[in-house]
Amino acid sequence: MSLYQGKLLHLILLERFGPIVADVGKALFEFPRSLFHVRKTTGFPLLKVKESLSILIKFNLASFKLNHDGTTATYRLIIDNILLMLRYPKFINLIKMKMEDEAETLVEELLYKGCSTASELIIKTATRLKENKDIGTLLKQLKDKFASLVTAKYFIRLKNANTQEQELFAVPTIDLKQLSSIMNGSDETPADESIYWTLNPDRFHQDLRDQLVVNAVTNKFDENTGELMRIFLQQMYIRTSPWVPVSNLIPVLEVKDIVKKQKTHPQLLAFFDQYVNILEQDGNNIIQKAGEASGGSFQIEMKKIFTQLTWEIMEQLVNEKFDTKASRIFRLVKCRRYIEPEEIQHLVMMPSKEVKRITYQLFEENFVLLNELKRSITNSGPNKSFTLFYIQLTQLVRTTLELSYKTLFNIMTRRHHEKFLNKRIIDKKQRVDTISMGMRVQGASVDQLTDIEEMITPPEAEALAKIGKMMKKLNVAELEIDDTIFLLQMYLAYE
Amino acid sequence: MSKTKAESGESSASSIENVIVQLAKEKPSGISNDDIRNAIPDTPLEIWTKIINKLLKSGILELFKDQGVLLYKYKDPSKKTEIKGSDNEEKVVYKIIEEAGTKGIWIRDIRVKSNLNMTQLNKVLKSLETKKYIKAVKSVSASKKKVYMLYDLEPDSSVTGGAWYQDQDFESEFVDVLNQQCHRFLEEKRETSIKMGGGPLMARNRSYATASDVHKFISELGISKVQLSVNDIESILYTVVLDNKAERILNSSGEYLYRAIKTFLPTNGIVSTTCGICPIEGRCAENALINPKTCKYITDWLSD
Repeated sequence: MSLYQGKLLHLILLERFGPIVADVGKALFEFPRSLFHVRKTTGFPLLKVKESLSILIKFNLASFKLNHDGTTATYRLIIDNILLMLRYPKFINLIKMKMEDEAETLVEELLYKGCSTASELIIKTATRLKENKDIGTLLKQLKDKFASLVTAKYFIRLKNANTQEQELFAVPTIDLKQLSSIMNGSDETPADESIYWTLNPDRFHQDLRDQLVVNAVTNKFDENTGELMRIFLQQMYIRTSPWVPVSNLIPVLEVKDIVKKQKTHPQLLAFFDQYVNILEQDGNNIIQKAGEASGGSFQIEMKKIFTQLTWEIMEQLVNEKFDTKASRIFRLVKCRRYIEPEEIQHLVMMPSKEVKRITYQLFEENFVLLNELKRSITNSGPNKSFTLFYIQLTQLVRTTLELSYKTLFNIMTRRHHEKFLNKRIIDKKQRVDTISMGMRVQGASVDQLTDIEEMITPPEAEALAKIGKMMKKLNVAELEIDDTIFLLQMYLAYE
Repeated sequence: MSKTKAESGESSASSIENVIVQLAKEKPSGISNDDIRNAIPDTPLEIWTKIINKLLKSGILELFKDQGVLLYKYKDPSKKTEIKGSDNEEKVVYKIIEEAGTKGIWIRDIRVKSNLNMTQLNKVLKSLETKKYIKAVKSVSASKKKVYMLYDLEPDSSVTGGAWYQDQDFESEFVDVLNQQCHRFLEEKRETSIKMGGGPLMARNRSYATASDVHKFISELGISKVQLSVNDIESILYTVVLDNKAERILNSSGEYLYRAIKTFLPTNGIVSTTCGICPIEGRCAENALINPKTCKYITDWLSD
């Protein structure tokens, strides 16, 4: 809950659902309100407000609670889920990498709809994919994919008052015959009418987290160690619930068996014990030996890994924002926990004046904090007080998170602004594209088509190319900042 | 009669003086009043106290207090000759500076120890300096802080800063070059050890280097005008560690081993945009003079 978070939410809602929903969202962000209260604050007609609220609820972006009087309800915004919308492209990409294209389209459709019944979702996806395909096999494929998405917990059933815990990931009955007849135009009601499904972000985050850890290990060591880490994580889930800070024991023999079966990394198999050793002996405590039974078993220290990664983000931030010298000082303070200015000067090998300048600059921007220890005044003579620098990571993470929101907001605002500035030219391009497309369908000659396309002058084309490049850069930046936000949120989750 | 008594008194005074000085010379740890009384039991108290006072005044004896007992120590007159022609204040100040040795002493500490006021002390110091008894040395830890020490002493490395300083100026370029070279050495060592093959553990162990290895490499490079010690290299290597380009472990014989390492993360999102590293981020807002729509930093970033 912060100023920029609110502004960012407004922008996200504006982009996806338009101005009315965005304003309703903003009103709810300020504090939870009842329907009439929302209408009063926003000034929209009741119907519109109702519509917006139902959109928000359908996409699981808002929740409501019945008031004591039993007739009115209070609506509340689910902030995390709105921020999650920025991560949707990553979710889709993840599924694409792990499963096949059909699964990707299923996820995509579900994201478009917010929530949906299984039959509805499959029909919708099938209509999209039906070109050049046999409807029967396609439906069967989609059904299987849907079932595997549910069993893998990527989809979760929406809860109502009577939903049992074990029903959340139970595959519903889907009647294929019924589905194909609905697709052919009959208006039967499908068998799973009232069972709605939505995305399970936790499961996606779990995958993103694992990917992050594996990539980090690969970066630091090599391909083989990364693969080892991946298998360790995979084996972790057999005995451990996904979000505990330290995993239960993982027998190393199991991991070795998998490497043997896989046959993709001969180097890893040949020097298996050594790779395990390297991972274990690294100073960052990625895995830790916990038992000697069955050739040794290890624990994965998730929390420590993320603390380490977060430190690295902070160091990078200091490095880019100030200088390599500043990051040197920052790391020194980190290593020593509490350190006196004289000692910093002694160890970082820089002119003392510069050390002072940088340390106090870091202090000014709240990267390091200062603790003054004063002696009691009883003893006479000059009183020496100790000045100690230290870092509070959690506090720094929260500041950085806020900075990330602000950055995102700035980037998105800029994107809107650029679009607005170049509206004329973008509109023209769109018009020309539609016309040429229409003519191509009608079978126009090549000459006619080039005539139409030449309506965009070379300078305009150049400008368009520039805008396109700019938009791409801004979009990439958005996704990258979200990576940072994800990592920092993971740290806070483990904290 | 009274005249002869006075004369005999004087002659006995000089002999007593010799006895006391001899006694003090034999006991470098100092002699107490009791020692003196035992050595010259038949001399009345008021006579030998006068003599002691005279000796103290002329600087042959020094007065100390140890656990409540007054002690007199013999002082070498060869040192005393150096401050000939000085008054009492100068002697006190000289003594304080002498005690500070090669580390020198700050003017404020002299003031506290000598109980002299500032103007007087300044005068004394100036006179001692012109007589070349003492000298002022600029300390590297604080550029404005001068420390005083005896004229013929070589300042301690904590005052001059050792190899990294030239005339109180820290040679940061020199340190930077050394830092880069040390990193290069470790990095090369890592690469060759990977190329040499064998298991990953062997490759890792081969890539460790001790400070003396690096010292040898740096000496052979010949980039340093001054002779660097292994300890100097050790502190340079520590800065490489602090730059997160190397790690340091302790081996079984208590030596530090260094190894080039890589980081976990490639550049992350927040630093790849301008806003994450913007120096005036705090002054930027939607409708302010500095705003994301017209921000020059973003424009520059977008156009390159």
